[in-house]
Amino acid sequence: MGLIQRMAEESGFPTISMGNAADRMAHIKPPRALLVKFARGSMFGEPGNVKRQRRILLDALEALKTMTQPGTIQELPYQWKRPDPE
Amino acid sequence: MALSLTHKIESHTVRVRKWPLKGYPMGIDLESFKPAYEKWVEESLPDYRAGNFEEIIKKYPLIVSDGVPWTPYKGRPSEQTFALVTSGGLYLKDSQPPFDIGSIHGDTSFREIPKTVRQEELGIAHAHYDHGLAEQDINTIFPIHRFIELEEEGIVGKVAETHYSFSYVNDVVTLVTETVPRFLSRIKAAGVDVLFLVPV
Repeated sequence: MGLIQRMAEESGFPTISMGNAADRMAHIKPPRALLVKFARGSMFGEPGNVKRQRRILLDALEALKTMTQPGTIQELPYQWKRPDPE
Repeated sequence: MALSLTHKIESHTVRVRKWPLKGYPMGIDLESFKPAYEKWVEESLPDYRAGNFEEIIKKYPLIVSDGVPWTPYKGRPSEQTFALVTSGGLYLKDSQPPFDIGSIHGDTSFREIPKTVRQEELGIAHAHYDHGLAEQDINTIFPIHRFIELEEEGIVGKVAETHYSFSYVNDVVTLVTETVPRFLSRIKAAGVDVLFLVPV
């Protein structure tokens, strides 16, 4: 997935990706990424948590606008089965 | 931007290259990678067949990159077209073949998933993660329904008519030389402005 993202970015598409393993991301070096504290197979948190899924998408849209350095990774605060921070 | 690549198999460094170089997609020296990959396949098959995936991952001929390709983001989400890309192995059960989950090479193909897809139409063919959560709510790995809501609210200009799923892939050569160029030409033709990628 990292290669696909990097090739897309090289071809002129701005991209943003999700990740859940800081060590793996340090190796892959995605151009722009959000880091979550969730396990594999659920980058957007618990099934049915519509509000959280939406928040993460809004975070991604914001990150597109604010990330100006190649390779920026922003960690999100959300935690499994805990309420989102205000 | 200079990007050096180091191909490693176990602790042995195969070669270092700089990019951009003609004939080296993404700076990947495929001529060096190929024999390292073929050796890895040969040595890893017994472990792969036995299900010892952690072992074979450790020995994979890694591609290490120094630089980061970059396209500046311009404009506003409310005026742009977004497409989703997942590596979750999604396919349409009624009309598309599942991904190959048996081969050590993985499956280098991708499936096109329509914007209008419903949860019950999707199958998952990927042997290396737990599908339980995605089977309850596909938006946990492929947040298409949330994106459509943002489009309806005008926060996102347009959700593309087609989205994309890949699956488990080890064969980087085919991926880089054939699959990704085909994928990129599809999204260009579809007028996609921004890609949102969700690995599993």
